Amino acid sequence: MAHRLEMRNMTKRYGEFTANDNICISLDQGEVLAIVGENGAGKTTLMRMLYGLEQPSSGEIILNGKKVSFSGPQEAISRGIGMVHQHFMLFYDFTVAENIVIGHEPKKYGFFRRKAADEAVQKLAEQFKIGVNTAKKAGDCSIGEQQRIEILKVLYQGADIIILDEPTAVLTPFEVDGLLKTIRFLADQGKSIILITHKLREVMKVADRVTVLRNGKVTGSVHTSETNADKLAQLMVGRQLQKLNERDSISGDILLEAKGITIGQKGEKPELDRVSLTVRHGEILGVAGVSGNGQSQLIQAITGLRAVQEGSVRLKGQDLTEENVLARRKAGISHIPEDRYLWGAAKDATVEETALMGSQRNPKYSEKSFIRKASFRTRVKDWISRFEIKTSSLQEKAGNLSGGNLQKLIVARELDFHAPLLIAAEPTRGVDIGAMEYIHEALLEKRNSGDGILLISSELSEILALSDKIAVMYEGRIAGILDRSEATEETLSVLMAGGKQHDATAKTS
Amino acid sequence: MMLPQRLHKLFTPLIQPLLAVLIGLLAGAIAISFVGEPVFETYKAMWEGAFGNFYFLTSTLARATPILLVGLGVALAFRAGVFNLGSEGQMVLGAVSAALAALCIPGPPVVKLLAAIVAGMLAGGLWALLAGWMESRFKVQLLISTLLLNYVAVLFASYLVAGPFQDKTGSAALAQTPMIDQGAWLPKLFPGMSVHMGFVIAIVCAVVLIVILKYTAPGYEVKMLGLNPFFAQYGGVNKVKLLLLSMFFSGALAGLAGSVEVLGSQYRYVDGALTAPGFAWTGMMAALLANSNPLGTVVTAILLAALETGAMGMERNTEVPLEVASVIQAVLILFISAKLTLKLVKFRRKEREVHGTV
Ligand SMILES: Nc1ncnc2c1ncn2[C@@H]1O[C@H](COP(=O)(O)OP(=O)(O)OP(=O)(O)O)[C@@H](O)[C@H]1O
Ligand SMILES: [Mg+2]
Repeated sequence: MAHRLEMRNMTKRYGEFTANDNICISLDQGEVLAIVGENGAGKTTLMRMLYGLEQPSSGEIILNGKKVSFSGPQEAISRGIGMVHQHFMLFYDFTVAENIVIGHEPKKYGFFRRKAADEAVQKLAEQFKIGVNTAKKAGDCSIGEQQRIEILKVLYQGADIIILDEPTAVLTPFEVDGLLKTIRFLADQGKSIILITHKLREVMKVADRVTVLRNGKVTGSVHTSETNADKLAQLMVGRQLQKLNERDSISGDILLEAKGITIGQKGEKPELDRVSLTVRHGEILGVAGVSGNGQSQLIQAITGLRAVQEGSVRLKGQDLTEENVLARRKAGISHIPEDRYLWGAAKDATVEETALMGSQRNPKYSEKSFIRKASFRTRVKDWISRFEIKTSSLQEKAGNLSGGNLQKLIVARELDFHAPLLIAAEPTRGVDIGAMEYIHEALLEKRNSGDGILLISSELSEILALSDKIAVMYEGRIAGILDRSEATEETLSVLMAGGKQHDATAKTS
Repeated sequence: MMLPQRLHKLFTPLIQPLLAVLIGLLAGAIAISFVGEPVFETYKAMWEGAFGNFYFLTSTLARATPILLVGLGVALAFRAGVFNLGSEGQMVLGAVSAALAALCIPGPPVVKLLAAIVAGMLAGGLWALLAGWMESRFKVQLLISTLLLNYVAVLFASYLVAGPFQDKTGSAALAQTPMIDQGAWLPKLFPGMSVHMGFVIAIVCAVVLIVILKYTAPGYEVKMLGLNPFFAQYGGVNKVKLLLLSMFFSGALAGLAGSVEVLGSQYRYVDGALTAPGFAWTGMMAALLANSNPLGTVVTAILLAALETGAMGMERNTEVPLEVASVIQAVLILFISAKLTLKLVKFRRKEREVHGTV
């Protein structure tokens, strides 16, 4: 039988650089194809060509036996190809239903039929077992819900082939399970799905087949029934993964002390409600929680990006509550932001400029406010080789780096400040398993050297692997703080869902 | 290998504006043939009028002087991510302050001259700072406040020179200040030619701006602030302070434009003498056409000035009306607005889709 989709000898060059080199993939009806591979391997590029966002340098796309080419996403959509973007293009003031039908609204005499839209979306949601509240404003939806809206939108547009580029990177474990179920269900209904992910557990759970890319080439394509996560990992990074190094037990002095931090509008429920926590030297304090429960506000309060209504922030005893971002950075806080494109970089700046942020006034790299580019460049080049950051040059636009490579650049930049306190929010979001291992090692090494780390992550396994203590946030509060020894996925899950601490520990003991 | 690459980098920012000018000239050619005149002859007359001989060349440079200074100011603000539409008001206030300082401050002529320049820059800068302060304090949109403050400034300047500081010596009571001491004039570069020291000052400003933006920490911070204000704040850049500073210097450059025009070519503040030729708006065009690249702005400012002086020459020597220059300018404005709209749309989208695909 002919495949539903075939991409043959796809090649994409950016100048001298070849991002995709003769890639061939195929996809059948009802099949889930996972595409995995290290950062910068060319996964996103391949999908952008399929979705019409990028024109191939050469190669052909065969859809249902016919050769096609797309000059833009609209054409791809009309041929039944849909893509769920990693960050969502929703109109926050519109309802869920409106967001889904937008562009293809049911109309009568040219007027929008709200009820018909609602019903159509309702029906679609039932058909594919995707839970959404159609009348809710999109802006009030959690990240997971927003993603479901995007999937429904793609289905509403009549997609038979659905592309998901790292859809689980922003989800909590519970939401991930839901998404995987949805994916499986869609496939059983005859949809074909392409899933890009760095998480091999997800691949093994949901995919029928895996294609591995490296350096723009296909290095293997296997059925999941004939492989396992370890073998896949080896195929991806070309070596065995290591266990994390042992941690020394250190109990240092108090480094960061946040007391009673409250953020919120008057008369409304506070976004952050009397949050107190301490990080000691040589300690990693993990902050777990479903995203949107105050983690972002906590980070902003500590780094000085947002003013607090109440409470105080002290570092090594020094009161920083009234200080600005610069003063806090100088006092010894570095920060890997949760959202690399919003806070961590400027897409149109060069790699070098992105790397420079925070060092531009460091006397080592600037003289009478003239920046000493040459000496700074050696430093960036060192990061690039240590973290294996793929970039054509230091003058490449940061926005042209692959997601994972930009993340590695930001991590390298913040680690190299050697600040006593590192705030690491989703430090491994979007990086491949090799790089994740390296970053985890680096974080532990920093801890072992006596620095403190505040680790915020939606990845429970990351929290559990790295943290000495774990605080769980729920609705703007600290729901409980557990020791490394008493924390398990279960205890944390109970707290994350709003349970009480003694419930959490009682249940497991 | 190294040199061609450098040259290439130097010239890429110029390609777009030059292309726009070319398209403008094409549109102008259509207009010219529409009125039934020979295109080549007309453009030749225009070229002669702008660059034909040393006299015309220097007049073009003289006209380019305020345009360039205003353009540099707009470019600086734009780099920091804000629109300064208030150049006209800043320029006029700068001009009137320079004239009054030169008239009122006692001392030797050199002191008068320097004081006049400083006063002009301060007045323009503070006027722009006012708009910046209103935005940071009361969230009054800069786009609107700078525009509206133009009217206030221009009318205030008119009042000053029609009232308290009017030149009462002449027979006709024109709305202008008395003439400044000759010692406090900016010298002409060549005897008998209109281009004056102000042009050199403008070029020096362009060079300084290029160096600051490219090689210094504040320049880097301004650039990052313009590209992504969140990123800049995250990195410890004091957004409010830097915005106010950028606005101040942006306005100061416009004020300087007014000052050198007064000190180098009119020798007094004459009501309407700076607004009628539209120096400020042409300067803004120069900056936008050059994508806020200071070096590009030097080129576009001279080109736009040449378009105007050339059109005058054309009118002298052919039957083609002056308005053909307006056709060309209109096409350039269209080009700029298309580009700006695109930018705005992109910007809007970026706000929503912060990540895109990974
Ligand atoms: N517009 C562009 N210009 C230049 N190079 C680009 C451009 N887009 C992508 N690249 C390069 O192509 C390579 C492949 O990028 P791509 O985004 O496809 O990687 P990826 O496999 O999705 O990686 P990740 O896992 O980090 O998301 C990267 O090295 C990237 O720098
Ligand atoms: Mg990618």
